Amino acid sequence: MRNNGWLRRMPKRLWAVLAALLLFTFLSNDFGLVDLQKTAIVLAAGIDRSEEGFSVTAQIAVPKGSDRTTGGTSSVELTGTGGTVADCFSAIYAQTGWLPKLVFCDLLLLGEDAARAGAFGALDYFLRDEYAPDSCTLAVCEGSASALLRTASAVDDASSLALETLFSDAAKKAGRIRTTTLREFCITSYGASACGYMPYVRITDPGRQSADGAAGGGNAGGKGGKQADAAKEAVFDASQTALFSHGKMTGLATAQETFAMSLVYDRVYGGSLAAGGATLTVLKNDGGVSFPRDPAPAVQFSVKLSLALADRSAPAPPTSLAAGTVPPETVDAAKAEVTAHLAALWARCVQADCDLFLFRRTLFRHDRALYAQWKDRPLEDLPAYFTIEAESLR
Amino acid sequence: MKLSARQLCFFLAAVAPAGKLVLLPSQLAAKAGNDLLFPLAAHIVFEAALVFLVLLLARRERTVYAMIADMVGGAAAKAACILLAAFLLWASFVPLIEQKLLVQTLFYDTLPSYVAFAPFFLLAGYLCAKPLASMGRLWDILAPLFCVGLTGVLLFACGSADLGALAPVGGSGAAGFWRGLFGASSWFFDAALLLPLLGHFPYQKGLALRGALCYLAGGGAVVLFCALYFGVFQELAVSQPFAFSQMSKYFSGVAAMGRVDYIFIFSIAFVMLFYTAMPVQAAVDVVAEAFARPRALAPALSAACNAAAFAALLAFNFVPSETIALISVRLFWIFPAFSAGMLLVLYAAWAAGRRRRHAQ
Repeated sequence: MRNNGWLRRMPKRLWAVLAALLLFTFLSNDFGLVDLQKTAIVLAAGIDRSEEGFSVTAQIAVPKGSDRTTGGTSSVELTGTGGTVADCFSAIYAQTGWLPKLVFCDLLLLGEDAARAGAFGALDYFLRDEYAPDSCTLAVCEGSASALLRTASAVDDASSLALETLFSDAAKKAGRIRTTTLREFCITSYGASACGYMPYVRITDPGRQSADGAAGGGNAGGKGGKQADAAKEAVFDASQTALFSHGKMTGLATAQETFAMSLVYDRVYGGSLAAGGATLTVLKNDGGVSFPRDPAPAVQFSVKLSLALADRSAPAPPTSLAAGTVPPETVDAAKAEVTAHLAALWARCVQADCDLFLFRRTLFRHDRALYAQWKDRPLEDLPAYFTIEAESLR
Repeated sequence: MKLSARQLCFFLAAVAPAGKLVLLPSQLAAKAGNDLLFPLAAHIVFEAALVFLVLLLARRERTVYAMIADMVGGAAAKAACILLAAFLLWASFVPLIEQKLLVQTLFYDTLPSYVAFAPFFLLAGYLCAKPLASMGRLWDILAPLFCVGLTGVLLFACGSADLGALAPVGGSGAAGFWRGLFGASSWFFDAALLLPLLGHFPYQKGLALRGALCYLAGGGAVVLFCALYFGVFQELAVSQPFAFSQMSKYFSGVAAMGRVDYIFIFSIAFVMLFYTAMPVQAAVDVVAEAFARPRALAPALSAACNAAAFAALLAFNFVPSETIALISVRLFWIFPAFSAGMLLVLYAAWAAGRRRRHAQ
C-alpha cells in the first residue's frame, strides 16, 4: 500500500486528462491510417513513356509463400498507365486496392525513351511527394523499364534488389559504376550547369535474357514475367553511364569513359585497368578537375594513380609473380590509356552538351561576368588539358 | 513561482531556435536564394537587441501589466495586454501550421487524417493553463535535448553539404536581402515572448547582456544550420520545407545502420512541441495576469484559445501555403510594427522609471 502512495496523490484532474487521452486514442481509428494489409511497399518504380503519357511499373514486395525455403524478397510487378506518373500510381491503386507506398522505394528506373524525352516529366512526382525519398538511386535502362523490372534476375529474387547489389559501394569504389540519387541529379540539373548522369542498365548474356515483351502486358494487377523458369534468368550490367543535359538524356559514356570519370571524381580503390597487355589494379587514386581562367578559360583534368600488376596475358616466371610491380612501359601505357579515355569522355560531353564537370557552375559561383559570357557558349570552345601521373607499387 | 536566470538563458539559447528549423530555411531560400544567411543574421541581431532591452526592464522586477499600469493606468494597461495577447495569438499561427505539417509528414508515411494533429491541443491546453514561469524546469530538460538533437543533425549533414553553393555572396542582390528580411519576419517574435515573463525572475547583474548573447549563440546555431541546409539541398532548398528532418539522412552511416538520425530529429521535434505552444501560453498568461488574480481565468482562457486555434487550423487546413503567405508575406509588417511599438513602450517605461527616480 505504501508503494502506491504516489497513485493516491495523483490529482484527479490528471486522471481525467489521462483517461481522456486514452479514450481519444482508442476511438481515433488510428487517425485514419491506411490498413497495412492494403498497402503496397514499392521497392522500385520503372517509368516509361506511353501513348497516354506515362506507364509506371511498380515492383512491390510481397510475403513469400511457404514453398520457398531460401531467403530474400519476393516481388510482384504492377503496371499503371496515365497522363502523369501520379495517374499511373492511382491506376495501380484503383485496379488492385493496394495503396502504393513509396517510402521504401530505393530505385527509380527510367526507360530510355522516357529519359531521352526528358527525365523531369517522370521525376517531378517523386520530388513533389513528401513520402517518396529523394535519396533513391536513379538509373536509365536500355529499352523499357517495365520489361527490365519484370526480368527474372540470376542474382536476386527481385530485379530491383539485383540492381541495388550492382550499385553497391564496392562497385563504386572500384570505379566501375557511377550512381546518382534523385537529390543529386536534381541539384546539378537545376543548377547553372543543367547537367546530370545516371547509370545505364542493360541485360547482358542475351542467351538467357527474359525481356520478352512482358512490358507489353502493361496492365495493373497482372503479374509479370517473373514466373519464367530459371533458365531465363538474366544478368544486368551498369558499367555505362547516361549523360543528361537540361534533363534530357543526350549521350552515353562507355564503360572505359565511366571508369575515367570515376578516376577524376572518386577515390578509386581496387579498380582494374587494362593497359599494355596487362591488367593493373588501382591501389590509390587522386583526381580532380579545375578551370584555369587565365589567359582564357580551359578545363584541366588531373589524375594520380598508384598501380599494381594484377595479371598479364603473357606467362611470367614465379619470381616476378609475388612482386606486383608494374614495368615502366606498362605504366606509360596506363597513362596513355587513361588520357585517351578522359579525352573520349570530354569529347562525348561536348557532343552531348553535358557540362558534366560543372564548368558553368564553377563560373557562376566565382566569376559572374565570365559566366555570362560562357553560359550559352558550346563546350567545344573550351580547350581541355590532361595531366596523368602514375607510378608502380614498389 | 520564479524562473532562474539560467533557465531564461537556456530558453533563449536552446529552445527559441527550435522554432526556426522547419519552414523558415526553405522560405528564406525561396526569397533570398543563396544569400539566405544575411537576412537571417540581420533578424537575429535585431531580435537579440530587443531581448537585451526587454531584459533590462526586468530590473524593476514588475510584471508587464504592472509596468504599463504605472505609466498609463489600469484600463489602458489591460488594453495593452489584450493587444499583446492578440499579437502573440497571431504569431502562434505559423508555428502551429508548420508543426501540423511536420507531424503529418515526419510521423506518417502516407497522408494521415487531418485531425491527426488534434492531440497536440490536449498538451497545449494543459500547458497554457499553467503559468509561463512554471516552464523553467521544462527548459532545463529541453535545452540539453535540443543541443544533442541539433548537434547530431548538423554532424550527420555536414558531410553531404557543399558550402560552395552559398557563393556568389550577394548574388541575390539587395532585393533578395529585403525579400528575405521581410519574408522571415513572422518567425522572430522571441522578445515579445519574454514580456509575459517580466516580474517572474529575479534580475541579476549582467543578465540583459547574457540573455542577448545566449540568443545570439542560439541564432548562430540556426545560421550554421541554414548554411548546411543550403549546402545539402542547393537548388532544391526551396522545395524542402521540413529542413531539419531531411538533411541528415544522406549521411553514409544511415545506409548501413538505418535512420538512426531519427533519434536527433525526434529530440528536436519534442522541443519544438513546447515552443509551438508557447505563444498561446504567453497570450493566456498576459491576459490572465491583467484580469484575474490569482490567475483564475487561465484554464478557461487556455481552453478557449486552444479550441479557437484548433478550429482555425481545421478551417485553414487546405490552404496552408496561402495562410503562411498571408501572415509572412502580405501582412508581414505586423511583426516589425509590433517590434517598433514594443521599442516605444520600452522606451516610455524606461523614461517613466527615470523620471520617477529623479523625482525621488
